[in-house]
Amino acid sequence: MRIGVYICQVGSALADEAALEAVAHYAANLPQVESVRPLGSLPTIDPDALAEEIAAARLDAIVIAGDSPGFFKPAFTRAMALADADPEQVRLASFREHGGVTQDSSERAKSILACAVYGVPFPLAAVPKETRTNAATLVIGAGISGIQTALEIADAGKRVYLVERTGTIGGHMAMFDKTFPTLDCAACILTPKMVSVGQHEMIDLLTYSEVEAITGSPGAYKATVLRNARRVDEESCVACGICSDVCPVSVPSEFDAGIATRKAIYIPFPQAVPAAYLVDESACTYVQSNGKKCGACAKKCPKDCIDLDAHGDVLQIEIGNVVVATGYDVLDAHRIEQYGYGTHPNVLTALEFERLTNASGPTGGRIVLKTKRLNKRKKAEEWVFDPEGPSPRSVAIIHCVGSRDANFNAYCSRVCCMYSLKFAHLVKEKLPDATCYEFYIDMRAFGKGYDEFFQRIKAEGTFVMRGRSGTITEHDGQMIVRGEDIISDKMMEFPVDMVLLAVGLVPAARSDQLAWMLGIPRDEAGWFAEADYNADPTGTERGGVYVAGMCQAPKDIPDTVAQASAVAARVLKTIVTGKGVDSLESLSLEDIETRAKSLATV
Amino acid sequence: MALRINPKLIDELEVYGAEDVSKCYHCGNCSAVCVHSSDPYVFPRRSMRNLQMGLEDKLKGGLEPWLCYYCGECSEQCPREAEPGETMMSLRRWLTSRYDWTGISRLFYRSWRWEVGAILLVGFLTALGFLLFGFSQGSITHYNGSNAFLPSSKIHVFDWTLAMLLLAVLLSNAARMWWYTVGRDRSVKVPMKSYITKAYLLPAHFITQMRYAKCARKTPWLTHLVLMLSYLTMLVLIMFFLSKMASGPKIDWYVHIFGYLATVGLVVGSVLFLRNRLRKSSAQYTHSHESDWLFLVLLLVVTLTGISQSILHHSGVDVAANIMYVVHLSVVVPMLALEVPFGKWSHLAYRPLAMYFADVRAEGLTRREPASVPSEGLRAA
Repeated sequence: MRIGVYICQVGSALADEAALEAVAHYAANLPQVESVRPLGSLPTIDPDALAEEIAAARLDAIVIAGDSPGFFKPAFTRAMALADADPEQVRLASFREHGGVTQDSSERAKSILACAVYGVPFPLAAVPKETRTNAATLVIGAGISGIQTALEIADAGKRVYLVERTGTIGGHMAMFDKTFPTLDCAACILTPKMVSVGQHEMIDLLTYSEVEAITGSPGAYKATVLRNARRVDEESCVACGICSDVCPVSVPSEFDAGIATRKAIYIPFPQAVPAAYLVDESACTYVQSNGKKCGACAKKCPKDCIDLDAHGDVLQIEIGNVVVATGYDVLDAHRIEQYGYGTHPNVLTALEFERLTNASGPTGGRIVLKTKRLNKRKKAEEWVFDPEGPSPRSVAIIHCVGSRDANFNAYCSRVCCMYSLKFAHLVKEKLPDATCYEFYIDMRAFGKGYDEFFQRIKAEGTFVMRGRSGTITEHDGQMIVRGEDIISDKMMEFPVDMVLLAVGLVPAARSDQLAWMLGIPRDEAGWFAEADYNADPTGTERGGVYVAGMCQAPKDIPDTVAQASAVAARVLKTIVTGKGVDSLESLSLEDIETRAKSLATV
Repeated sequence: MALRINPKLIDELEVYGAEDVSKCYHCGNCSAVCVHSSDPYVFPRRSMRNLQMGLEDKLKGGLEPWLCYYCGECSEQCPREAEPGETMMSLRRWLTSRYDWTGISRLFYRSWRWEVGAILLVGFLTALGFLLFGFSQGSITHYNGSNAFLPSSKIHVFDWTLAMLLLAVLLSNAARMWWYTVGRDRSVKVPMKSYITKAYLLPAHFITQMRYAKCARKTPWLTHLVLMLSYLTMLVLIMFFLSKMASGPKIDWYVHIFGYLATVGLVVGSVLFLRNRLRKSSAQYTHSHESDWLFLVLLLVVTLTGISQSILHHSGVDVAANIMYVVHLSVVVPMLALEVPFGKWSHLAYRPLAMYFADVRAEGLTRREPASVPSEGLRAA
């Protein structure tokens, strides 16, 4: 067989000439390879010219190598047909798909190319050696995916260390009011799971803690966990709340997305697990003054469980597998100036609205407008949510804020369309007389029951308009949203009282540090890279390190739970058999090539 | 009416500067941010769509590109970097070449080599002509008087002949523009009365550029207005007061003060725009077509040669002044004869005309439509 290799020089793996040359040289020395030709970056391929080339070189098979070689496949298939060769014999060597994404991955690129030349799928050839596996598992992040993975593994009777950075488990899902498209109460699904985690014998729950270092090798990792000083004894605290009542310091509540305040000693929310208070040392007067001022909470505590002078602790644990479930952050809406977030008081982000409409939120679930109130301490007027405040008569919901946008995030955040529709439902349900407008670009109602949900929202009387609004202006205190109704080619202007921004999602803060610590790559947007896009979406480059939930890419709750359970199954497999797999890194180019060769001859 | 599709249109427009049209995914952000986009002229997204679909006739009959002043906000906010602002600019270039029946405009926009070559040729011929004319009837040592090298009375006749010629070409192109955008469309009946009652719009838009002033950023409007008014002042001076302009070396303040103000305006305006384009200071200056450079460079060269001529004349160096006069004319004539009817300058006619047509056409449309049709999405709700 005579094989022609075409290398498309796009992206990072072959960014510099030297790397390209090395890979091309390597490819030329593979058996049966007749010709190697770089296509340059962003090539346009003329099938006719290509067909002549193929016929002249009498090629029987083609390998297209590059970041997204599938893009060029149609042109090559056509060229093969034109040259009277077998059009089926166009093989792809996708660097992006198999982890050849960084500047240092030209070895990986070579092995991917070799597999394509031998006609063997890369995941089949690149199988790392087996390792012995420790039965304990570390799960980083205790949102819905971390909780799900931890419970699945622990229910099988295996030890799980669940590390959570904040004072409670639950993550973003605990903040939500309803889930789409079923409109179930998010807390009703999540809190039983949270309680199970809190009570589980096989789960060591380490909240207010961070993984500081990970050493060792796949199957035998050692983790250093920094246990921040909670300053309240988890075991003896009964969450009576007296400490919080006497605390003089108020700061924005993270759990309420900043639309309400909490004290410096606080419990994130009443159903928090563990159900214990904690001290925010950056806000606490006592801690900040080195014990010179305040200390009121410790004096009043009836259980005597507050130790304001407590120090953090470091814990060493030995584990076999690590599950990364660190979730996401929300893009800072201030960056997108055209919508006036931070300027117009009643422009809210999605998370803020979740808390506003949540029955456990600061207004008890009443959807109200912000009202001006004098802050006596700061002696300045500020906009706050008053449960007795006026309700909005009209609400605009703007999709794709910072998503699918070359200026912010190029990717689709995947959940915004559906939660925006859910918001429209909640507005209509609570304020039947209010008008509700949705401005969308494309309606991505892709999941089970999602499109039906979209139809339902339209039937409920929400005005759903195709066309993203460009700006929000204010005339005499009335916000005006302007947009183009693309379906009828008309400009539309609506006066609205409240604007909800479906803000896109970004990788959680400090994902870069974690990626570096674990030795796993991230994609160009910063999400953790899975080992193989199609064949291994839960594993990573590193043996015994898995990704679950949003930290891998934006996904909704059902997908997150599914991925979390899938990760648990893979972890349990290694524990039950006592054997895990080593990192892909442990394989040398020769290893992969030899295995590919042996598979090809079979 | 059946729609004819030209699938090559999007490639054709690339030569005119629209390179990123196919990136557009129709979110409508550009139309929403544009202050000029309002019914029935919604743009730039619709123009992007028509381009992607190759609806040549629709685009040829569209007035939208002329209603855009390219403030650049749409391009800055565009989530796809599809450059809607530059697309509108390219469409203006393309439309100019469509309105022009001679085909010269199309040639110029598609090849700057042809354009520069034509300018050089006309410039050379002009210089040659005026030199022959000067030596045949006057003395190079005289700028004024009976023995003048280039007497203003004769130049005046030349100016008016050229002006009439240009006007004829521009008007014939403007008539084609009217036919494409208003006349051809049988579905819109514009009453004669509208044409008359709205006629005031033509000078109003021409002189004030009030639509440009609506853009969020005011500096480009102001610079453009100063440049245009200076140009207009200079034109009036040359067409009606040429003999007074040429008198001297004593300075005739009643006329010259306007000349000086206009000169300052021209220099400041063209230098500012050149600087913006060189620095790519904001979205509308990042993509410069060859025609944009030629426009500004020619304007600056004309102004600078004019200034030199004036200085030489007023300092009494008649020989040098006469030579500079010929140089000046050999830049002015190609600029006027080629750029005004066929190049970027033609927008001085098409823009106000488009706004006038847009208003009368909109009136015709309101007569046709009994009520606005609600949107598909809104109706479903």
